[in-house]
Amino acid sequence: MQPAIFAEGIGKSYRERMLGPRKAVLREVDLEVIPGAIFGVLGPNGAGKTTLISILATLLHPDTGAARVLGLDVVKEAGKLRQRINLAAAGAHFLWCLSVEENLRFYGRLYGLGGRALTAKVEGLLDLFQLREQRRVLFEHLSTGLKQRLMLAKALINDPELLFLDEPTSGLDQDMAQHIREEILRLNRKTGLTILLTTHNLREAEMLCSEVGFLKEGRLAARGSIPDLQRRLGLGDHLSLIFRDSPAPLEYARLPGVLAHRIQEARVDLVLDRAEIRLAAILEAVAHAGHELAQVKVKPMDLEEIYREVTH
Amino acid sequence: MNRRNVFAVFEMLFWPAIGIFSVGLLTRFLNLTEETVTFILIGAICMNTIQIAQLDLSYALLYSVWSKSLKHEFIAPIRLGHILLGAGLMGLIRGFLVFLVMAVMSVAFFDMELSRPGAGGLALLLAGMFINAAIIGAVVLALVLRFGQRAEVAAWAFSYLMLLLCGLYYPISVLPAAVQVLAQFIPLTYFLEYFRHFYGFPLHFGRPLLYGFSLSVLYILISYAVLLFTLRSAFRRGILLRLSE
Repeated sequence: MQPAIFAEGIGKSYRERMLGPRKAVLREVDLEVIPGAIFGVLGPNGAGKTTLISILATLLHPDTGAARVLGLDVVKEAGKLRQRINLAAAGAHFLWCLSVEENLRFYGRLYGLGGRALTAKVEGLLDLFQLREQRRVLFEHLSTGLKQRLMLAKALINDPELLFLDEPTSGLDQDMAQHIREEILRLNRKTGLTILLTTHNLREAEMLCSEVGFLKEGRLAARGSIPDLQRRLGLGDHLSLIFRDSPAPLEYARLPGVLAHRIQEARVDLVLDRAEIRLAAILEAVAHAGHELAQVKVKPMDLEEIYREVTH
Repeated sequence: MNRRNVFAVFEMLFWPAIGIFSVGLLTRFLNLTEETVTFILIGAICMNTIQIAQLDLSYALLYSVWSKSLKHEFIAPIRLGHILLGAGLMGLIRGFLVFLVMAVMSVAFFDMELSRPGAGGLALLLAGMFINAAIIGAVVLALVLRFGQRAEVAAWAFSYLMLLLCGLYYPISVLPAAVQVLAQFIPLTYFLEYFRHFYGFPLHFGRPLLYGFSLSVLYILISYAVLLFTLRSAFRRGILLRLSE
């Protein structure tokens, strides 16, 4: 199956001032995203996330390497590709003197829509993003959240096959952010829309992404599904056993699924590959040793740990 | 956009009216002949028509730069030719309306005589004006794509300087000799000369239409190539993204 995104050796550097030295923003980035996936690009500020998304979205030419999106070269076949992709980015900016509806119509026309097809599309998007009440409000008078909703509505105006989302829920209140995430998931599941998103919100990435990639200093430091990364990086769920007196005298490292352990007075902290399937066996071993437990705490591994491990 | 933009109304009606009345009243005070009044007023009409027409071309990107939405326009499947054609047509329509308004005011209030060159002469002057507006607009677009909003002032200053050099309100012969050389490189110089010779003003250069159109075609090709090159460079240098932040 042809990948939705295939990038090889992408590099990009900028001069911060004329004749000054070039600063590398992306170095030799390889990326492959399968059709229908939601791929998350994560990384600290300045890691190159927006530069990468801009190259793949045909808005920036790479210095080195090549990328194909939906089978089309992002530089040589940008015109054809733009028909099939769209972008929503944080910090929504549109023509300030047009209303919500006029902005959608304006962008619809840029994609060749007109007449009834355009009207139907605009009406559907106004409903989908709950913008009907604000349809005649000028863009400059919208709140940040409403601007962001309009941004997402615009990104769907051409029924894209691949959507680039740069911090899509930034600036939205919790309810609307959740609504947007659910909408992204629904679109992905219903239409098979491939999505490449950047986010600072790791919970969002966990909720949405089937696969993530971590950019660090312009390099793709790690990529894969969350369980896959967890295995490769030796990260896992945390299990804390707090004994009444002293810890059970067990060889904790040999217990099934234990990736790491630490004993501190009456407390034993274990890192497990998967707590839900190992917990029963470990508790049984502890009970067998005859030491009474005062407390058991399980903390599932989260993306934040992977993020810390990869980016620091 | 223009519907809600009060400045657009000012651009099309207020400033042209101010221009015609201030220059027209000056000609009345100086008690000039009908030919000289036409000589001067056609300069005022040219300036406003060209400014309005070139502004529409410049606005094709400037509105997006001001609203920081440039990347959303360029991620859509539109080509440079679409932008230039759409904005150029709007410029043509608005420029023609300004020309009509100013011409009617000039004829009605200041006895300007427009019919002497005939429909053909008038059409050639209009063609020259709009081609010059297209050249200025393309240069402004290239400067905006290269330097962003900082370029606006320089761009418009450039267009006024060009209008100053081409003998808008005076014959080329009154310019210093070195400046007359520069005037030769401006196509509008020849179109104004051609139009004014119908009113008895001698031609400073021979074959004005040949030179005017030849230079225009050359500059149109060069400015389009420069604009295309600047756009490609903007994709390489990330200027579209910087102008959207």
